[in-house]
Amino acid sequence: MTVRPADYPPPFDAAEAIGPPTDPADERIEVGVAVVGAGPAGLACAIRFGQLLDEAPELAERLGEVPVVVVEKGKQPGSHLLSGAVINPRALRSLFSGRPQADAFPRFGEVNAESVYVLRRSSALRIPPPPTMRNHGNVVVSLSQLGRWLAEQAEEAGATILPETAATKLLVDHGSVRGIRTGDRGRGREGQELGNFEPGSDIVAKVTVLAEGTQGYLTGAAVERFGLQGQNPQVYALGVKEVWRVAKPLDRVIHTMGWPLRTGARYREFGGSWIYPLGEDMVSLGFVVGLDYRDLELSPHDLLQELKTHKLVRRILEGGERLEWGAKTIPEGGFFSLPRQLHAPGLLICGDGAGMVNVPALKGVHYAVESGRLAAEAAFAALQPGETPARVGALASYDEAVRASYIWTDLEEVRNQRQAFGRGFFVGGALASTMTVTKGRFPKRPLTTEPDAEQTLFRSGRAESYPAPDGRVTFDKLSSVFLSGNKTRDDQPNHIRIAEPVPRDLAELWARMCPAQVYEVGEETGDGMVAVKLAPSNCVQCGAITAKGGRLTPPEGGSGPEYQRT
Amino acid sequence: MTGLVFLEHHGGEFLKGSLGVLAKAASLGEAHAAVLGSGVAGLADQAGRYGAAKVYVVDDPALEAPLPQPRVDALAQIVREQAIENVFFAQSVLASDVAAGLAARLEAGLNWQLTDLAVEDGGLVGKQPALGDSVIVDVGWTQTPRLALFRSGAFDPVETGGQAAVEQVGVSFEDFSLAARMLEQLQEEATGPSIEEAEIIVAGGRGLGGPESFTVLEELAAALGGAVATTRAVVDAGWYPYSTQVGQTGKTVSPKLYVACGISGAIQHKVGMQGSAVIVAINKDPNAPIFEFCDLGVVGDLHSVVPKLTELVKTHRAG
Repeated sequence: MTVRPADYPPPFDAAEAIGPPTDPADERIEVGVAVVGAGPAGLACAIRFGQLLDEAPELAERLGEVPVVVVEKGKQPGSHLLSGAVINPRALRSLFSGRPQADAFPRFGEVNAESVYVLRRSSALRIPPPPTMRNHGNVVVSLSQLGRWLAEQAEEAGATILPETAATKLLVDHGSVRGIRTGDRGRGREGQELGNFEPGSDIVAKVTVLAEGTQGYLTGAAVERFGLQGQNPQVYALGVKEVWRVAKPLDRVIHTMGWPLRTGARYREFGGSWIYPLGEDMVSLGFVVGLDYRDLELSPHDLLQELKTHKLVRRILEGGERLEWGAKTIPEGGFFSLPRQLHAPGLLICGDGAGMVNVPALKGVHYAVESGRLAAEAAFAALQPGETPARVGALASYDEAVRASYIWTDLEEVRNQRQAFGRGFFVGGALASTMTVTKGRFPKRPLTTEPDAEQTLFRSGRAESYPAPDGRVTFDKLSSVFLSGNKTRDDQPNHIRIAEPVPRDLAELWARMCPAQVYEVGEETGDGMVAVKLAPSNCVQCGAITAKGGRLTPPEGGSGPEYQRT
Repeated sequence: MTGLVFLEHHGGEFLKGSLGVLAKAASLGEAHAAVLGSGVAGLADQAGRYGAAKVYVVDDPALEAPLPQPRVDALAQIVREQAIENVFFAQSVLASDVAAGLAARLEAGLNWQLTDLAVEDGGLVGKQPALGDSVIVDVGWTQTPRLALFRSGAFDPVETGGQAAVEQVGVSFEDFSLAARMLEQLQEEATGPSIEEAEIIVAGGRGLGGPESFTVLEELAAALGGAVATTRAVVDAGWYPYSTQVGQTGKTVSPKLYVACGISGAIQHKVGMQGSAVIVAINKDPNAPIFEFCDLGVVGDLHSVVPKLTELVKTHRAG
C-alpha cells in the first residue's frame, strides 16, 4: 500500500492556538510590544525598538512599565538556537550602526578560505564554490552564543526577557491581534495540576511580533487565521549538528554535497554538510537533508554519523572529542513560500518564521536580524499619536520595507533553485547554475513545490548501511540527546500530536527521521497498522514531525535542549 | 576550616545524606552539627559518633513538625551568635527549603547541587556538575557565611566513635515563622528501604519485558536487603512508579552494590548511578554500553540468571 504522511493528519486544529484574552482585565499583563522568540529576529526587533524609544520619551511613557517583552520557551536565550553558522554581518552592523556594539558580537573569525566537495563513499572531488556559496567577508559564529549576547543588548536597551515561557495562544479579538497567552507550568502527564502548578497569563500588547523561528506554532496559526499563505506551501529541511573539540585547527570552511545522499531523482534527497572552524580548537559540523525525501529509512542523524566515517571528515576529527549535539529544521521554500503578507492588524512576522532563508547561499540569520529591525521601525511608526497598530494596514510599512530590502531581492533572485533539486542532484545542479547566471530570470514561471508530508513513502534498505555507533566517532541517538543538554521533566504532558494507529511504514518513517529517538514503532493493531510509542521528553523541538505529518506544540517553558555552542 | 552541618532527622534517625556531609566537613577541618527538633536530646550524642566535634541543640516544640521557617530562625541565630562561616546541607525537600530561607535571611551566597568540596589555596571550592553533568565546575563564595547544599548521596557517613561537646541553644522564633502549621503528614507506602538510602540496589530496565517481571527483581532485592530501582523507559511504560527512577531526570544514587538487570546503560541512566561502588550488569546484548562501565558483567537472560542469583543469596545467607 502506498502511504503519504499527509493522509494521517494529527488531532490538531489551528484554532486551538487562537482565541480572545481569558484572564480578567485586571490580571492581564499589559505591555507595549510583545515579541515571541529570543532569536536573532526577535532580539533585533527588541533592540531596535529600544533604540527608537530612547529618542521618544513621550511614547516610552505611554507604553508603561514594560515597553517591550520577549518571551522565550528555552531555558535561556540561545538554548534553542542552532545553526551552522557562517553569517553575513551586514544586518548586525546596521542594527548597531554608529554604536559601540556594531562589531562587538561574539564570533570565531572571518572566513578566509573555503572548499566545496562532491563526495563519493571513498573519494572527494573538490569543485569551485558555486557563486551563491561564496563566503568572503562572512564570519563564523555560534548562533546560540550570538543569541545570548543579543539578549544582553536587548535588556540593556530596556527590553524585559522572559525565558522558560512558551507562547501557546495568539490573542485575537475583533479581528486584531491583542497579544499572546503563555503556557501553563507544572502539569502532570495527564494534564493534572501538580504541586508546583502555575497557570499561564495573558500578555496584552499593542503590537505582537512573531519571531518564533522555524515551524512557529503561533505563526502557523496566524497565517491560517489571517489567510496569509504564500504561493507555494512551505517546505523544510532537517539539520543535525555536532560541535567537536579537535586536535588540530581547521583552516577553512568546508561544504560537501553528494554522498551519503543518493543523487537519483526518485530518492528526492537534497542536502549536504558543513564543517566550520570554531576558533583554534573546535569545529562545527552538520548535515542537512530536505524533508521532501521519500525513503522511510532515511535518518538524518545516522547520515551525519555516516558522513564522519569519510576519510575527509575523519581526518579533521581525529583525536578529538564530541562536545555538543543538536537538531533543527530549516524552512527551505524560499521566495514563493513567503507569506503573501507579513503583517495583520496588531501583528508582524519576522525571520525564519516567515521563511526568510536563502537556501543556495545557506543564509538566513542576517535576514532575521534585518527583518526584526524593520519590524521594530514599523511598530514604532504605528504607535505614533493619531495611529493605532490595530487598524487594518497600519503595519503595512513593514511589508513595504521588507520588499525594498535585500531580503526581498536576494530571495527573489534564487526563487526557483531549491525546487529544481526535486529533479535529482545533477539535473537540479544544472538548473540552479542556469538560474544563477540569469539572476533568477530562468525559468519564467515559478517552480511549484508540494508539502513534505505529501511525498509517497518507499523503502530501500538504506538503514542497513548506517554505521554501528562506536562511541568515539559515531554515536547513537540517546547519547546524542544527552549532549543537547536536554533534561526535560519526564512527567509533563505530551506535546507531540500524531495520528494513531498509523501504517507501519509511517511509524517507521518517524522513528528513523527523529534524531532524538522520540518515536518507536509500537504494537500491531491489525491491518498493517501499529501504535506509536512516544518519549516526548527526549524531544529537542526540531520541528521535523510537523513537516512530516504530525504536529509539535509548545511544551512547558524551560524544557527541551539547552544548547551552549551550537 | 570549621563547618556547621544541618543534621536532618526523621523518626529519631539521622538521614544518611546528612551524616555523609558531616563526614566530609570533618575531613576538611572541624565539623559542628545543628540538631533541631522537639525531644532530640538523645540524638545529639549520636552526632559525635559520626564526626561532629560540637553539637548545637535546639529542642523546642516549635520544631516538632518538619517545617522550614522555624529552622531558618534557629540556624540564623546560631550562625550569628557563633560567627559561623560555613553552613552545609544535604539535599532533601526540607533541607533545600531551609538552605534557601537561610540564604535569604542572612543575605548569604548558596551554592547548590554540589557533589564535592575542597580547600584549595586556603579557600573553599565547591564542585558543581553542569551541562547535564558532562563537566564539573568550580564554584566559590564572595563573602561569608558560605552556604552549600550537597546532592543526596554525595558522601558516605563515617563512624568515628567520637564524642561531641553539646550546647543547648534557646531560640526566639519570629511570628511569621510560626504561621504555618502541619495539618497532616502522609507516608508513601514502601516495603524495604528507599533507593536513596539503600546500600544495595537491584535495578530493572526495558529488558524485563513487562511489569510482571519485576517480581524476580523484588525477590532478589528482598534476599539482599536492598531496594528496587528502574530506568526512565520502565517508568514511561508505566511498569513501576516514578519514585524509583534513577538517572538524569530521576534520582542519583550511590549504593555499595548496583545490580543492573536488562538495562542497556544509556548515558541518561549512567549519570544517576555511576557513583555506585560495585556495578553488576546482567544483559542479553553483549554490545550493551553498560558492559563498558560495569565491574562485573553477565551476558545472559535475566529471567534465568536473576532467580538463580536469588537462590544463591538465600542459601548463602542461611548457611
